[in-house]
Amino acid sequence: MTEPTARNREVDRRWEGELIDGGGDRSARVADLLAAVRQTSVTPSARQTSVTPPARQEIATSAEQDAAPAVHRPAVPPGDWTVDRLTSAILTAAGRLMPGRDLHAEIDLFDAGASSVNAVELVAALDRDHGITIELDDVFADARPRKLAERWLTAHGAPPGAALVAAVPASLVPVEGSDLDMIAADLSLGDDLPWCDAPLPVTPRRILLTGATGFLGGHLLLDLLRRGDAHVVCIVRADDDEAALRRLGDALAGFDLPWSGEVRRRTTVLAGDIRRPRLGLSEPVWDTLTRELDSIVNVAAAVDFLRGYPSLRQSNVVAVRTLAELAMTGPSKPLHHVSSVAVFNEIGIASMGEDDPLAHINRLVAGYDKSKWAAEVLLRRARERGLVATVLRPGGIGGHTQTGAYNAHDLSCGFSAAFSRYRTVPAFRFFNVAPVDWVSQMAAAIVYEPDGWGQNYNLTGRPNAMSELVRDLELGGMNVEVMHWEDWREDFIARAEADPVPGLDFLARVMRSPTAMQLCEANLSSPAATGTRTEAFAARHDLPAPVRYGAEQSLKNYERMARDGLVTLPSAEDAPYLWFPETMKGRIDDKPAALRITLSIASMYQLTRQDKRTLDVRRGKLKLHDQLLTVESGEVWIRPDEGVPLQGGFDHPLLRYDLRLRDADGQRWWLEGWKMARPRRDLWKQSRTLTVEIGREGEPATFSGVLKVPSKSYLRDQFDGIQVDPRLSAQEQRTAKLAWLSWFLPEMTRGLLEPGFRLLADLLDLRKDAIDRQRESDLDQDRATIKKRVRAR
Amino acid sequence: MMSQMPARFDGAVVDRVPFRTSDGTDLGLCRISREPGRPAVLLVHGHTVSSEIFTLPEIRNLVDVLLDAGYEPWLLDWRGSSRLPYNEGRVRYSYDDVSLYDLPEAAAYIRGQIGDRKLFVVAHCVGAMALSMSLAAGLIPGLAGVVAHGVFLTPKVTWTVRLRSHLGGELLRSRFTHVPVDIKKVGLRSRYTPIFGLASLGADCPDPTCQMLHNSAWATGASLFEHDKLDKRTHDRLSELFGSVPTWILPHMRRNELAHSVMRWNNRDRRYARLPENALESAHRIDTPVLLMSGSKNKIWQDSNRLCHDLLSRRQPQLDVRYTEIPGYGHMDAFIGRGAALDVFGRIIDFLDEH
Repeated sequence: MTEPTARNREVDRRWEGELIDGGGDRSARVADLLAAVRQTSVTPSARQTSVTPPARQEIATSAEQDAAPAVHRPAVPPGDWTVDRLTSAILTAAGRLMPGRDLHAEIDLFDAGASSVNAVELVAALDRDHGITIELDDVFADARPRKLAERWLTAHGAPPGAALVAAVPASLVPVEGSDLDMIAADLSLGDDLPWCDAPLPVTPRRILLTGATGFLGGHLLLDLLRRGDAHVVCIVRADDDEAALRRLGDALAGFDLPWSGEVRRRTTVLAGDIRRPRLGLSEPVWDTLTRELDSIVNVAAAVDFLRGYPSLRQSNVVAVRTLAELAMTGPSKPLHHVSSVAVFNEIGIASMGEDDPLAHINRLVAGYDKSKWAAEVLLRRARERGLVATVLRPGGIGGHTQTGAYNAHDLSCGFSAAFSRYRTVPAFRFFNVAPVDWVSQMAAAIVYEPDGWGQNYNLTGRPNAMSELVRDLELGGMNVEVMHWEDWREDFIARAEADPVPGLDFLARVMRSPTAMQLCEANLSSPAATGTRTEAFAARHDLPAPVRYGAEQSLKNYERMARDGLVTLPSAEDAPYLWFPETMKGRIDDKPAALRITLSIASMYQLTRQDKRTLDVRRGKLKLHDQLLTVESGEVWIRPDEGVPLQGGFDHPLLRYDLRLRDADGQRWWLEGWKMARPRRDLWKQSRTLTVEIGREGEPATFSGVLKVPSKSYLRDQFDGIQVDPRLSAQEQRTAKLAWLSWFLPEMTRGLLEPGFRLLADLLDLRKDAIDRQRESDLDQDRATIKKRVRAR
Repeated sequence: MMSQMPARFDGAVVDRVPFRTSDGTDLGLCRISREPGRPAVLLVHGHTVSSEIFTLPEIRNLVDVLLDAGYEPWLLDWRGSSRLPYNEGRVRYSYDDVSLYDLPEAAAYIRGQIGDRKLFVVAHCVGAMALSMSLAAGLIPGLAGVVAHGVFLTPKVTWTVRLRSHLGGELLRSRFTHVPVDIKKVGLRSRYTPIFGLASLGADCPDPTCQMLHNSAWATGASLFEHDKLDKRTHDRLSELFGSVPTWILPHMRRNELAHSVMRWNNRDRRYARLPENALESAHRIDTPVLLMSGSKNKIWQDSNRLCHDLLSRRQPQLDVRYTEIPGYGHMDAFIGRGAALDVFGRIIDFLDEH
């Protein structure tokens, strides 16, 4: 956060205001907000003319209305602040951002309901109103107002003694290893849990699900409904049940998940908050749940790699304890807890098996890793008291293999976006990543199958090795360079700063944060997670075996990220990957004409799209009578519409040329040409003959005729003349050329043969069939079969 | 002739209607109603299955969902139904008969019963393909809407399936009048055994009927459903749901598929002159909104319906045609899958409600 943004009243902040007020994914909003804020810090005036949708501009938000007057307050020297005064100032600012919340000096603001957007706003408000610049990372690390005040005063050289020490009880002064103390205290919460018997091993009929508005939670909700007949009760953070229902519906729709009457019929949504006692539910509702539920699935978690343990413990540890209490009160219920392989996130850990020892807690750096570790260890203690607790550990959760829906704030997703955009990858051992649909399907099956309860599962799929990922990208025509981790990180940060991409802002922040950076490093150097038990469970219950999240599985995810601007797929605007010339000669309106164009592809991906398999035409010339027209752009469609005949009949389209041209006077022209496959023996001629129509832009065709690729130049141009991006190595160039030919030649062959197959079929139709050939022996066999069946009865 | 309808559909009345087409073929027609005055929905099954795919008692089926959503389902068993004897008979029919007699006459009968109430059609697979010919011929005018699942005007399979089904099918049709899918019916050592053997190559599931339908549908290499989408109970009675496929109809199917268009089979028979030679060319006669649906993993008709949508959007822009892809679903499982009510039927209801 920088001064011009926080203080300059000229800056239009309505968009940020709308972000804060609006619903939806808060993590996404903070990335947008941070990106916008950074933009304004560079060019404050430019912000006013930035591309803001008109609808957004019209919305006057409460945040804007409540904004303080444009008073520039001088920075107060640190010496004038005490911990109490500063804590009070922070509480006042936070209170304005979160009206109606019960705030006090020791509450973590995130636990009190603050979002990441609120954190950004708080930092801005303190800067604007008091000239106090608190780092956002400090808020994320520990958002207790008194801790923030202490940290700021210490950092700004407050005189030792007077201001700081006199005002603060000794226990609150930051001490080395305070996270560990807090974790130890949190683990002891498990000692208060009641004792319970094992639950009955029966298929659940009423399941409690937390985190259903999240990426995995939403998919899991649907898979729980699909796999069995259970009714699912969802706890959703909202002011009331109606708002909770709406929020769940919006979240599911955002992930392309159905939210039909059929889904609503089997779902009950309760407004609650897992961070609060009794999940924020009233006592009668809590009591009812203790009696009626027969399974609990906890997906909810604060997934934030920047926040510290104190800021995450309520959501990720204390809430798990509350759910364990719910499971152990009344009839026993199994608790299925979604943890993470982050519990192994120690640099240099030897193995990541399902029952392997977790990381050493004192070697975990990120608050998120610590919180997931603490939750698992807490559940171990609960197991000793009788709780049947299942631990489900996903790694990176990749996008949906069919819808492409993804979580932009999953690290693996951010890395994929960065790899494809910058065409560089850091050296890593394995990516432990699996698509959300597989993770969710496995988790749902484990919830429904009593033989799977109470165990640990690594839902990490088949890890992706670096060589596999690099090869996938190469096959798609996106050749990447491998760099050392440190070099890659610096390169990424530099690029992200030079050309900020809102969708990658999240990853850029992670890369800049020392603790989150270590988390990434641990991820990249980690061994492959193994899931022996998970694989055995899948085989036992006819579930899909884990597969690598490779090019085919992630294709739709990439396409969707590309639509959202997160990933850049190769396009006609990029340097061509492969190209070759084509020359045609013929007669148009009975006068000689010639067309010479260069056909190219930006990547092999371009040819895998079922709806638009085209070659690009980037340049060329058309000699038409006395004129020379320049080809400005165009496409050549390969077997358009799968070769469905244009007007019935037997003529199947093979290639369609759509070119845009310009003459010497600057007038625009169009050219449409068709190569057709016909049921005749002159296949060689058909593959070279183009029937064309040419006209001025916006007018019907003026000229028509036929152009033909001369036999002599066909092979010379289209085989020998193939050229490949010179930036690729010689081997890569050979591979690209062969890949292109091995795709294009069969495609053309099939297209040419298609009409012939239809003729052949017409001949075959005349043959006799089995009724015509019916013989006595066949009828005997029929009779024998019938007799046998009668005897069997 | 007809097996017993499962006794479900709380509070609904099940009326079986004796129904004979004008060419003298006895079909099955059944109305399921709760209270009068509801819009009617004619459900048309695919070839070699029956209307039972809409009434599976082990899952939340389409009839349940339609009744709860305020509609009156009508179930038609056209002549390709596994509940009827015609697929294993010695009298051939073609899909022209379905387009000319079965579907238009069933729709006309229902109209006679419901008066001016709306009539929708939800059709699956070959049922939808035959319906497209009826619509292009103008034989069922004035429908309130049509949902076509799997394939409609532009049948298309992969090249592997194309070669195996068209050339292999030629061998089959000279040897067998029909190919069964239930090995128990014909015994382990029958003349059909090689076909079952071929279908079982590389199969994960030991059930021969499942191999014949899922691993390699009728040994062509196609697949009719995603295995993990089926309820175990449905999986274990696939042989009850699917019947034999008549081999003498394969040439008509081949003609359609090679042209990627629904084609008339009977060209010299004047009785069929009301049908256009190529339904795609007469698509401008379709006068009803159409929702094309397909599973994203359809391993028999592939993306035929997406192709149909693209073609109609370009060639017949005046038509109200839209396309919906159902993530993760194959072909049959969109109706008989355990989660079909959640993932598929909601989209159908939304479309019906809209019209």
